[in-house]
Amino acid sequence: MINIQDIRDTARDLLAKGEVRAVIGWRAGSRGMPAEPVVITAPEQADELVWDPTCYHNLALHLVEDRKFLAHARKTAGAPIGIIAKGCDARAIVVLMQENYFKREDVYIIGVSCEGSGMIAEWKVARQLDGAVPTAAAFAGDEFAFATAAGEKRLPAREVMADRCLECRNPFPKEHNVALGEDKTGRALEAPFAALARFETRSEGERWEFWQRQFDRCIRCFACRSVCPMCYCEECVVDSINIAVAPETTAEEKANRIRWIERSAVKSENITYHMTRAIHLAGRCVDCGECERVCPVNIPLRLLNNKMEREARERFGYEPGASIGGPSLVASFRDDDPGAFIR
Amino acid sequence: MTKKRTGVFVCHCGTNIAATVDVSRLAKEMAGEETVAFSRDYVYMCSDPGQNSVIEAIKENNLDSVVVTCCSPNLHEKTFRDNAARAGISGFTCEIANIREQCSWVHKNRDEATAKAIKISRSAVRRVARNQSLEPIAVPVTRRVMVIGGGIAGIQASLDIANAGLEVVLVEKLATIGGHMLQLSETFPTLDCSQCILSPKMVEVSRHPKITLMTYSEVQEVSGAVGNFRVKILQKPTYVDPEACKLCDECTVVCPVVVPNEHDLGLTSRRAIHIPFAQAIPASYTLDEDSCLGLNPIRCGKCKDVCEAGAINYDMLPKTVVEDVGAIVVATGFDLYPQEKILEYGAGNVEDVLDGLQFERLCSASGATKGHVLRPSDQKEPKDVVFIQCVGSRDPAQHCAYCSKICCMYTAKHARLYKHHVPDGRAYVFYIDIRSGGKGYEEFVQRAMEEDETVYLRGRVSKLYRKDGKVRVLGTDTLTGENVEIDADMVVLALAMQPSKGTEEAAKVLKIGRDKDGFLAEAHPKLKPVESVTGGIYLAGCAQGPKDIPETVSQASAAAAKVIGLLSSDTLNHAPTVARVRRSHCTGCEMCVTACPYKAIRLENGKAVVNEVLCEGCGSCSATCLRAAIEVKNVTQLQVFDMIEACLTV
Repeated sequence: MINIQDIRDTARDLLAKGEVRAVIGWRAGSRGMPAEPVVITAPEQADELVWDPTCYHNLALHLVEDRKFLAHARKTAGAPIGIIAKGCDARAIVVLMQENYFKREDVYIIGVSCEGSGMIAEWKVARQLDGAVPTAAAFAGDEFAFATAAGEKRLPAREVMADRCLECRNPFPKEHNVALGEDKTGRALEAPFAALARFETRSEGERWEFWQRQFDRCIRCFACRSVCPMCYCEECVVDSINIAVAPETTAEEKANRIRWIERSAVKSENITYHMTRAIHLAGRCVDCGECERVCPVNIPLRLLNNKMEREARERFGYEPGASIGGPSLVASFRDDDPGAFIR
Repeated sequence: MTKKRTGVFVCHCGTNIAATVDVSRLAKEMAGEETVAFSRDYVYMCSDPGQNSVIEAIKENNLDSVVVTCCSPNLHEKTFRDNAARAGISGFTCEIANIREQCSWVHKNRDEATAKAIKISRSAVRRVARNQSLEPIAVPVTRRVMVIGGGIAGIQASLDIANAGLEVVLVEKLATIGGHMLQLSETFPTLDCSQCILSPKMVEVSRHPKITLMTYSEVQEVSGAVGNFRVKILQKPTYVDPEACKLCDECTVVCPVVVPNEHDLGLTSRRAIHIPFAQAIPASYTLDEDSCLGLNPIRCGKCKDVCEAGAINYDMLPKTVVEDVGAIVVATGFDLYPQEKILEYGAGNVEDVLDGLQFERLCSASGATKGHVLRPSDQKEPKDVVFIQCVGSRDPAQHCAYCSKICCMYTAKHARLYKHHVPDGRAYVFYIDIRSGGKGYEEFVQRAMEEDETVYLRGRVSKLYRKDGKVRVLGTDTLTGENVEIDADMVVLALAMQPSKGTEEAAKVLKIGRDKDGFLAEAHPKLKPVESVTGGIYLAGCAQGPKDIPETVSQASAAAAKVIGLLSSDTLNHAPTVARVRRSHCTGCEMCVTACPYKAIRLENGKAVVNEVLCEGCGSCSATCLRAAIEVKNVTQLQVFDMIEACLTV
C-alpha cells in the first residue's frame, strides 16, 4: 500500500530541484473529507498532500485549466507541471496528449495505484454509516476506515466504492514518470460495464422512457461539462454565446451564430445536448465518472458514455487512453472495420 | 449585405419529374422565397433552348446565384455551372437540387413528392444564398502516367499513352509482363495463337523510349490527387542482374529446388531460380526467395558458382522508388475463382479435373505436353472430355451471382481445340445457356457444334467423382429430361472470373471503390465506364469486370484516350470548394490530419493548414472535427444549418 510520505517526498523533491513548477494533487478538505484538489508550488507545501479514498477528482482537468491559463496569458510553460494521477487521470492525460493538447514533456506524472480498491461513492457511505458524519477516510486493505464522532468505523471497500471503480480494469497509471503502489492492471471487482449491462436488460421502450424522464430533469447547469477534462473546447457547440472571437473572425460569423441547440433547459434541447456530448466523447471518455458524480440531479451519465465506450471496444477493439501515439477512434479508418452498424 | 438574387430553374425532365412532381407549383413556391428573384419551369432544362434560357435569365434579371432543380448533380452540375460562368457569374454560385433520383423516381404519391421536392429545392435556395463566388484553382500537372498491371490491358494502355508522347511507368507484380493472355493457347473467335499476337506488343513495351518498365514491383503507397500523384513502389530483388545475365540457363540446371511452375498452373515444375518462359519481358532470370534454400553460399550457392557472367547477387536489397505522375491506369486483372470452393466438383481434389487455364497450358505448344492434349494422371490421350460451364458463375446462393461473360466462348474454343488435337475424341459441354454476343462469336459456337461435333447438353452437373481410372460425371440433359452419366477421361471446369488479389490490394492503396463483387467501381456504369470514382485514376481490363480480349483492349485504349485528354494541357482546374480552417477554433488535435484521405492537411504552429491543391472537398475533416474548426467552402456549418432548417420547416 502507498505510504503518503512517499508521495510527499516525491513532490517535495521535484519542487526543490526545480524539475516541476507546481504539483497538482489533493489535500484534506475543509471538513476533513472529502479531499480537494490543490496546486502546490513550494517544497514546504508538500506535507499538505493526502491520498485517500476520497481523491476521486480527475486532476487532468487542472492540466487543461493550466494550459488555458497559459494560452490566455500568452505565457510559455517553462518547467513541466507535476500531477498526481490515478489510473483514470492518467488515461485522460494520454487522450489529451493524443489530441496534442499538451506534449508529454510538459507533464511530470506521479502515478498512484488504486491497488485493491478505489474511490468511494459518498451516497453509499452515507447509507452504511447510518447518519454518522465521517471526517476522514483511509485505505485499510479490503476496507476503508472512516473517522466519525463515535470513533473509527470500518466498511468493506466493495460495499462503498463507486461503480466506476468497481468496474475499473486499469486501476494503475500505465503512463507515468514515477509510479507508487502495485500494478493491478486487469483487476475488476465487478464485470466491466456491469451497470450498463444491468440497465440494458430493460426493453428499448423502457430505456427511452427512462432517458426522457432523466433529461427532463436536467437543469443545464453544465457541471458535467465543466468537470470533464475532455470538454476543453473554447466554444462548445451548445452555447454559441461563448463564440470565440479572434481577429480573423468575420463580421458575418459574428452575426450568424449557429444555434444547433437552444440554451433553454427543455427536454428536447437537453436530449440533444447530452447526445451530442456523448458522441463527442466517443473514443475519448476514459470513464472517470466525474460527470455522473457532480450531477446535482443525479442523472446516470456514465451509462451513456459507457455505451459508447463498449461499442468502440467491441466493434473496433479501441480503448481510450491506451497509448499517446495510437490513432484516435473517430479519425482512423481501417479497411477491415466492421460495417454492420450501417443499416 | 445586399439581398441575394437567386434564380430557380425547375426542370420537368420530360415526364421523369413532371409526372410525379407538380413542377409549376414548385416553381411558384420557390418564387415566394425571400432570396429568389426569378423562378420558372421548363420541359428540358438541359436542352439547348433550356440552357440558353438560363443564361438569358441570369443576364436579364441580374441574378447572382442559381438553383437548378433537376437530376443528380453527377449528371448536369457541370453543365449548369458552365452556363452560370457563361452568363458572367461564378459557376460556384450554382447548385443543383436533385428532385429526380432523390424524389420523383422513388415516389408515387404526387402530393407528397411535390412537398418533398419543395423542401429539397428550398434547402438548396437557402444554401446558395450563402455560397461564395469562387474561382477554380489552376494546378500544374505532372505529364507522366503510371499503369499498374502488365497484362494485355496494361500493355495496350501503356503503348497508346506512350505513343502519344507521354512518359509511362508500367508496374507489374510478377517477373514478366504478359498476364493471363500469355497463358492462353489460342484465342477466340479466330483461333490465332495468343503468344504470337501478344509477344510483339511486349517487345514494343520493352523497347519503347517513353516506357519505364518496373517488373517484380508493387505499388505501396499513393498520395496526392489528379494531376499530381506521388506513388511509392517497392521493387523486390530478383537477385539476378538483368544486364549481366546471358540467359545461358546454367543456373536452373544446378538449382536443387523444384517447385510447381505458376506459369503452367502447376502442370510443370520450375527451379527456385528460373525464367517464367522463354519470351519473358524483361528477358532475365529471377531467384524466388521463398523457395530458395537461403540466398547464402554456405547453404547452397550452386547458381552463383555456375554463373560465369557473375549476374547473381545474393545481397540485392528491395528498393523503394518514388514516381510522380499525373494520372494512373489500374489494370490489375482477374484470378480464377478457386477450385477449392467448388465442393460439388471435388474441391480441386479429383484427378484429371482441370480449370480452363490449365487446359490452355495443355493445348499450348509451349506448355507441359508441348501441345499434345494428355491428361495429367497418366499422360494418355483423353477420349471423352467433359467441359462444364458456369462453375462458380451465376450462382448467387453459393458462389458468384454474376456471369463471367467469357466462359461460353472459351469453352467452345476448348472443345474445338480438343477436337483438333484428338479428332477421334468426344467432347461434351454442359451449359445453362449459350451467350455468344460479339462479332463472329455465334458462328464460332455453331462451328464447335456442327463442324467439330461437340455434344452440347443443356443442364448442370450435380456431382463428379473418380471411378475406375475415370471421372464419373452425373448430370442432366434438361432438353430431353434424362439424367446423363459420362465416364470421362478428363473434365474441364469453366471457373468464374474474380477480381485478382492485386486488384483488391490496388483498391486499398489507391482508395478507389469496389462494387459488390469486388471489381473496381467505375464512375458511371454507362457514361464513365473507364473512370474510377477518384479523379485521375482510370480502369482497364478485368479489374473492372469480366471481359474478353477485344473488349479489354478497347477499354485500355479508351482509358489511354482519357489520360491523354487529361494531360493535354499544363494545368488542371481544381474545384475551389476546399476545406478552410477557422484558426480561432482549432486546438491542433490532429484528428482532421488523420482523417483526411488525401493527406491535404498538416499542422503548422499547432493549427491545421489545408493544402488547397490536394484537398478534394470531401468533408471528412469537417465531420471529424469536434469543434467545427474546419469546414468546406460553400458547405459551411451555417449553410448546413440553414438547409436542415429549410427541410424541417412545414
